[in-house]
Amino acid sequence: MTREELIKKWLDHDLNAEELVAFKMLKDYKALTMLDHSVKSYKASEFNTSKNLEALMSTLESKPSKSINWFSAVMKIAAVLVICFGVYFYSITRDTTINTLASNKQTITLPDASIAELNALSTLRFNDYSWDEQREVTLNGEAFFKVAKGSRFDVKTTSGIVSVLGTQFNVKQRDDYFEVTCYEGKVGVTFDNNITKLLPGDSFFILDGKFIATEKENQSVPSWLENTSRFKSIPYKEVIAEFERQHNVSVELQNIDASQLFTGSFTHNDIEIALKSITLPLHLTYSKTDNIITLKRE
Amino acid sequence: MPKPIKDNICEEQLFSSLYKKYAADLNNFLYYKYGSVLSPKDKVQEAFIKLWENCGKITPNKAKSFLFTTANNLMLNAYAHQKVVRKFEQIKPKSSTNESPEFLMQEEEYRKKLEKAISNLTEAQRVAFLMNRVEGKRFKEIAALLDISTKAVEKRIYGALKKLREDIDEL
Repeated sequence: MTREELIKKWLDHDLNAEELVAFKMLKDYKALTMLDHSVKSYKASEFNTSKNLEALMSTLESKPSKSINWFSAVMKIAAVLVICFGVYFYSITRDTTINTLASNKQTITLPDASIAELNALSTLRFNDYSWDEQREVTLNGEAFFKVAKGSRFDVKTTSGIVSVLGTQFNVKQRDDYFEVTCYEGKVGVTFDNNITKLLPGDSFFILDGKFIATEKENQSVPSWLENTSRFKSIPYKEVIAEFERQHNVSVELQNIDASQLFTGSFTHNDIEIALKSITLPLHLTYSKTDNIITLKRE
Repeated sequence: MPKPIKDNICEEQLFSSLYKKYAADLNNFLYYKYGSVLSPKDKVQEAFIKLWENCGKITPNKAKSFLFTTANNLMLNAYAHQKVVRKFEQIKPKSSTNESPEFLMQEEEYRKKLEKAISNLTEAQRVAFLMNRVEGKRFKEIAALLDISTKAVEKRIYGALKKLREDIDEL
């Protein structure tokens, strides 16, 4: 066996007794053992496995495990998505509300191209998002509807519900005053759980909770769309209320019976002519200061 | 090759057994390679923390190489920041009191030469040589730890021995 082989075997702790003797005979045996002996002092500092494992385990316990981090990250993303979706959903499902001011009129196109003409000081609310399932508007005031053909179309007012399929009709709801006039097609009015069907020209008119019979309407659109308010045997206070809305003024009555019936009309375009139209037939005089108009008996 | 029973090591008991099996060897490996200045023990703990954090992705038979690679990289990162001088803690063997001062001086001189010679070895040689001489590990045990062949271990260790002797004689 060569010297190199012997040394390698010694290094691998693989010498048998015979080889050990041969190894001891090598002339550099002394130098090798001396080196070996000295190298032993380069031992790594004692590694206390069980103590270090304990320390590691307590570190790991105080650290949140990776899977929980994942969970919280996913939760964060989910929360953001929920908020985004919520805001999106809230904004698309919000009701659209349209208000008109006094002496203003507005034409509104509804999601299915139905048209609503909104008279002065009125509010119309509808939901764009659920329109396909349910055609429904909430009205406070007066409006004329030209409804596109399709499913049921509801106009909700505080007095009653007006349902149609596709037609033109006018709804006026002011305090104790509720009037529906059908101009085309068929209109159903639900009032106090009773349904009344209206044919073209028919009107449904409730005043102070009482049903009032009206004559057939022969106009094709309500008069207010042509900037005129027309009245047939209507209490004078309702006429004045409409006048106030159309001209954005306030009217005071002195010694006048507000419940007397009035037949006539006034224009929305010229306040002087309008005032004359509502005072002369009843022999009244008027005086005007700023936005306050006082009516008196002659 | 037998199929491993577990495909991850997220179980505490399995993790602990891996620690008991490899922690000390890993500590020695780092110490022989980089010395004691950069605290091999801390790197061992860090490597095991990383192993735990990635426990779901690592099979038991991949754990050893993951640990050695991770610990080595941690060391290299720390090492890159400061050019450390390798320093080996020496546990002086008990010297008998009846040694002559001359002998003690010679021994001290020899020790200095040896230290210098050891730091002159390549990292690969030093790791294998010290594992063999200090830990008393056999070639094939070292080969298994370092993922190299037994022949390569033999070559490194014999080369280290030869180089040490040459260096010591020169100095």
